Amino acid sequence: MEFIRPDSIDAAVAALQAENAACLAGGATLVAMMNADLVAPERLVSLRDVAALRTAMRQPDGSVVIGAMRRHRETAEETDLRDGQRVLSDAAGQIANPPVRNMGTIGGSCAFADPAADYPPALAAADARIALVGAEGRRTLPADAFFVDWYETALEPGELIESVILPPAPAGTAGSYTKLARVAGDFAIASVALVLGMEGDACSHLAVAVGACGPAPVRRRDVETELLGGGLGDSEIRRLTDALADGLDPVDDVRASADYRRRVAPRLVRQAIAEAKQCLSGTQ
Amino acid sequence: MSPPDTAASGVGASLPRLDAREKVTGRAQYIADMVRPNMLHAAIHASPAAHALITGYDTAEASAVPGVACVLTGDDFPDGRMGAFIKDEPAIAKGKVRYPGEPVAVVAAEDEETARRAAALIRVDYEDLPVAATPDDAMAPDAPVIHEDLPDYFKVFPAICGGNVASETELSEGDVDAAWAECDVIVEGEFETPAQAHLSIEPVGALAEVDADGRVTLWSANQSVFRVQANVCEALQLPMSKLRCLTPKVGAGFGNKMEPHVQPLVVQLALKTGRPVRLILNRTEDFETVRARHPFKIRCKTGAKRDGTLVARELSAILDCGAYGDDSPGVLGYSLLMSRGPYRIPHCRTSGKLVYTNRMRFGAFRGFGNPQVTFATESQIDEIAGRLGMDPLDLRVKNMMRPGDRWFGGGEVASNGLAECIEKASAASGWRQGRARAAPSGKRRALGVAACAHISGLLATGAIVRLLEDGSVVLNTGAVDIGQGSDTVLTQMCASALRVPADRVAIASPDTDGSPYNWGTTASRVTYTTGRSVVAAAGHVAEEIKRHAAEIFECAVGDLELRDGGRVGIKGVPDKELSYFEVSARAHWAAGGPIVGADTWVYNQPSVDPKRAIARGLPFPQIGVYSFGCMIAAVEIDETTGKADAVEVWSAMDVGRAINPGSVEGQIEGGFVQGMGFALTEEMVFDGPRLVNPSMMDYKAPTSLDAPFDIHSIIVEAAEPDGPFGAKGIGEIGLVPAPAAIGNAVAAATGARLRRLPLTPERVLNGLLESDSED
Repeated sequence: MEFIRPDSIDAAVAALQAENAACLAGGATLVAMMNADLVAPERLVSLRDVAALRTAMRQPDGSVVIGAMRRHRETAEETDLRDGQRVLSDAAGQIANPPVRNMGTIGGSCAFADPAADYPPALAAADARIALVGAEGRRTLPADAFFVDWYETALEPGELIESVILPPAPAGTAGSYTKLARVAGDFAIASVALVLGMEGDACSHLAVAVGACGPAPVRRRDVETELLGGGLGDSEIRRLTDALADGLDPVDDVRASADYRRRVAPRLVRQAIAEAKQCLSGTQ
Repeated sequence: MSPPDTAASGVGASLPRLDAREKVTGRAQYIADMVRPNMLHAAIHASPAAHALITGYDTAEASAVPGVACVLTGDDFPDGRMGAFIKDEPAIAKGKVRYPGEPVAVVAAEDEETARRAAALIRVDYEDLPVAATPDDAMAPDAPVIHEDLPDYFKVFPAICGGNVASETELSEGDVDAAWAECDVIVEGEFETPAQAHLSIEPVGALAEVDADGRVTLWSANQSVFRVQANVCEALQLPMSKLRCLTPKVGAGFGNKMEPHVQPLVVQLALKTGRPVRLILNRTEDFETVRARHPFKIRCKTGAKRDGTLVARELSAILDCGAYGDDSPGVLGYSLLMSRGPYRIPHCRTSGKLVYTNRMRFGAFRGFGNPQVTFATESQIDEIAGRLGMDPLDLRVKNMMRPGDRWFGGGEVASNGLAECIEKASAASGWRQGRARAAPSGKRRALGVAACAHISGLLATGAIVRLLEDGSVVLNTGAVDIGQGSDTVLTQMCASALRVPADRVAIASPDTDGSPYNWGTTASRVTYTTGRSVVAAAGHVAEEIKRHAAEIFECAVGDLELRDGGRVGIKGVPDKELSYFEVSARAHWAAGGPIVGADTWVYNQPSVDPKRAIARGLPFPQIGVYSFGCMIAAVEIDETTGKADAVEVWSAMDVGRAINPGSVEGQIEGGFVQGMGFALTEEMVFDGPRLVNPSMMDYKAPTSLDAPFDIHSIIVEAAEPDGPFGAKGIGEIGLVPAPAAIGNAVAAATGARLRRLPLTPERVLNGLLESDSED
C-alpha cells in the first residue's frame, strides 16, 4: 500500500486520481475497516497536512465554512456556530466518545455516510451544503442531495470533501440534536435534528430531520413550509410527524427493530420540538 | 524507614492492590505482551459451517506461503477429549464441525499477519448436516444428533443424557402437587434470558514452548493453571508431567478462562515445530469461539397464602448448551439449587434440561446460572406482593431464611446475614420514603428490590507458606489472580496470621511445577477456600516458630505468642522475645531445618440431604458455603423512548468478613454494572447458529458513562464459622440480583411485567404503552 501525505488541496486531489485510492482523514472508521479486512485501499492519501482543510470560518453573511478535517471535538466547541447552527455542534458533541471525537473529522464522517451517524441529520436540518473538489473542479451540493443511500454519497471517484457550509440561521432560532442510543457513545437507534424559530406563538422557522431510520436523513420540507406562520400545537406537530413517518424506511438491526424506530421517531420529534419551544420561550 | 504497621496492611485494611503500580504504569505483562526467542505466531482457520462432516483438507496453498512454518488440521491431533463434566470436546474439530467458528486448522508462521493470511488459504471440504440452532430444534423428533457418541463419553457424574440432551437434572423437596391447593395466590410465567458475552478486557491467548527434552511450558490467559494442564493433557493425551503451566497477568476472566480455549492448539504447534508458538485471539474471534453465558428459558410458578406465606414453587429450565458440554452441567445443576432463592418455601420442584445445539459452547459466567433463575424467581416474589397488596420488601422479610435454616436440598447454612442485608439496603435507600420520590419531567421513576444468595466453595485448594532466612515470608497457593485481587487478599491473610506487615509477604505466581493444586479462580472461592489453606499453612509456620522459640527460651510452646512486626515472645513478658529472623536463621543454619507450612483440603460438606430432598443428575455433591445479598435499584424510564436507566443502587452483600473492604466494594460495584448490562443492553444475537454481533460496535456493554454515579456498596459481615477470619466469597453475588431488581423497578414504574431480557427501550416502551392503555 502506498501512503501519500500532500500538503495542499490540489496535491491531494492529484494524488487521489488513481485506482483504489482513498482519503485518510481522522482514520476513526477507515483504519478500523482496514484492520477488519473490509477495505484494502492501494493508495492512502492522508489529508493531515492540508492546512486549508483544518479551519472553520464564519463569513460576513453569518454562514460558517467548516473544513473537512475539523475534528468532532472542535465542531462541538465551535463558537462560530450560532442560533440554529448549533444543531451541528450539539450533534458533534454526541458522537461516540472523547477519543473518537478527538480523532474523527466532519469530512470523514460525511464521506462514510453511515445513516446512523450524527452529522447527516444535523446537516440536513441546518440546510448545509457540502463542498466537493475534484480533478474537474469544485461543486457544492445540498446535504439532501449528497447523502444518496446506505453508505452512499454523491462523491465521485477522485473527489474529496473540502468543507461543509452552514447557511446563516435566522437570529433567535434554536438548534438541537436529540439522540437515542443503547449506551453512551453508541450509534443512534434514531435521532432528530431540529432548527426551530418562534415569534410569539407563531412558528417562524422549522427544519426537522430524522436520522438512523432509513438510508438518508428524512425531512418533509413541504409540511414544514405549510406550518410556518401558524402555532405549533399538537395537531400541527402531528401533521409533521405523520408526514415524516411516511418517509421513514428503517431496518431491523442489532440496535433496534424497524417497528420500534417507526414508533419512537415521531415521539422523539415531539419531544425535541417541545423542549426547543420551552428553551426559546425561556430566552425570550 | 520503619516497617509499616502490621494492622494497617492486614485483614480489614483496604490495602491497595499489590499489582496496582505495574498495571497503572503499563508494565504488567499479559499474554499478548509475552515474547520468546524465535517465537512463531499462530492463527486459526475457523469453520464457516454450523454442522458438517469434514471430508477433506487442502493445506498446500497455505503451507506454501513464505514464512509459514506449520499447518495442522484435525488429522494432526491426538484423539483425546476434554470437558469439565462430559469429555466431549477435541482440541480441534475432528471428523465433523459442530458450530460456526470452531477451529478446524491452525497455522504457525513467522508473524501474525502471515499466519492469518495463510489460515485463510486453507481449503476444507464439508458435507453439510442438518443444523439444530436452538434447544427446540435440537429436541425435535427428527433433530440431527450433534454428539453421536454421547452415551460413550466419559462423564464425571451420573449424567442423565440422551439424544441431544447432554444432561437432565431434578431437585425437589416437599409435595408440590398437593401444595398448590393450600395457595391463595399463584403466579406463573415464562422467562427468557439471552446469551451474554464475558467481554474481558483481555481476549484469550496462549504461548507454548518446548524444551530440548520435549517438555512443554505453557503460559496463557487463564483462571487456573491446573485446569489448563488437565485439559491440554486430556486433549493431547500427554502425561501431566510433560506439561508445565504458568500464568502471566490476566485481564479478567468472569468464567471465560476457566476451561480451555486455544491452549491445546499452541501446545500441539509447539510440539510439531519445536519452536515457541503464540496465539492471541482478536475480539471477534474471542466473541465467536470462546464461550458465553447460557441462554435460559424458564417456566416458573410460585404460590402463597393470603397472608404472604410462600408455599410452593415449581421451576423448569431449558439451557442452550451450545456445541460442547464444558461447564454446562454444573450451571444447570447450580441454577436449580438456587431456584428456591433465600426463602422458606416448603414445597419446591425444579428440573432442567441442557441441550446441545450448533451454536458456540456456553459455559461458566459470573453467577453460574443464578442470575437467570433469580430474574425469574425474584420477579415472581414481586408479582405475588402485587397480587396481595403487600410491600415487596415486607413479603421478602416475612419469608426469608433465618439463621439455622437449611438451603434447598438440605445443605447446612452456617452463616446467614440476609436479614441485615435487607434491613441495611432498605434503610440506606429510603425504601419507605423513596418509592414516592418524584421523577424528573418526562421520566418515570421507581425502586425495585431483589434478594439472593450465592455460594463460595467447591473442590480442592492448598497453600505453602515458607519462612525465609531473614524472617520474611513467601506464600504460594496456585490461585490465579485474574484482576479481582486475590493475591492482595491472600497476602493480607497470611500477613495477619503471622502478624507481619503485608510487605514482608511475597506471593508466588502460580506454577503447576511448584504450586499446590488449586482447582481455580471461580465459584467465588479463592478468598474462602484458598484463604482457609493460607491460614492453616501459616498456622503450621507459627507452630514451628513457637517450637524454635520454646527451645531457645526453654519454655512451653503454649507460653508463647506471636507479636506484631514478626516477633515471638513469652506471654506476659514483653522483653522476652525473638524476631523471626533469629528463629529462621537458626532453622536454616543450626537446628530443625527451614520452616515450611503446607495445607491442602477439598470442600466436603454435602449439598443435598437425601432424607429431605430428591436429587437426580446433580453434578456436584458438595458445593460450598452461602453468602446472601439484597439489592435495591432506582430506575428512571424515559416516557418518550422507553429507555430505562439505573440511576442509583444500594447493594448490601454478606461477605462474612471483608478482608479488604475496598476490594469488596469493587466487586459489588463491578458485579452490579455487569448485571445491569445483562438487564438492559447486552445480548448476543444469533441468526440461526451464527452470532451476528461479535464486535464491541454491535454488542453493547455499559461503560462508566452508563453506570449510575452512586452505587452504594454496603458490606454485611455474618462471619462464616470455618471461613478464614470469617470470610466468604463476593466475586459473583453482586451481579446476581441486578436484573431482577431492575426488572422489578421497571414493573413498578410502568405497570408492565417484562419477562425477557434485556429490557430494551422497545420492550419497555411497548409495555408502558400497553399498560397505560389498560388503565
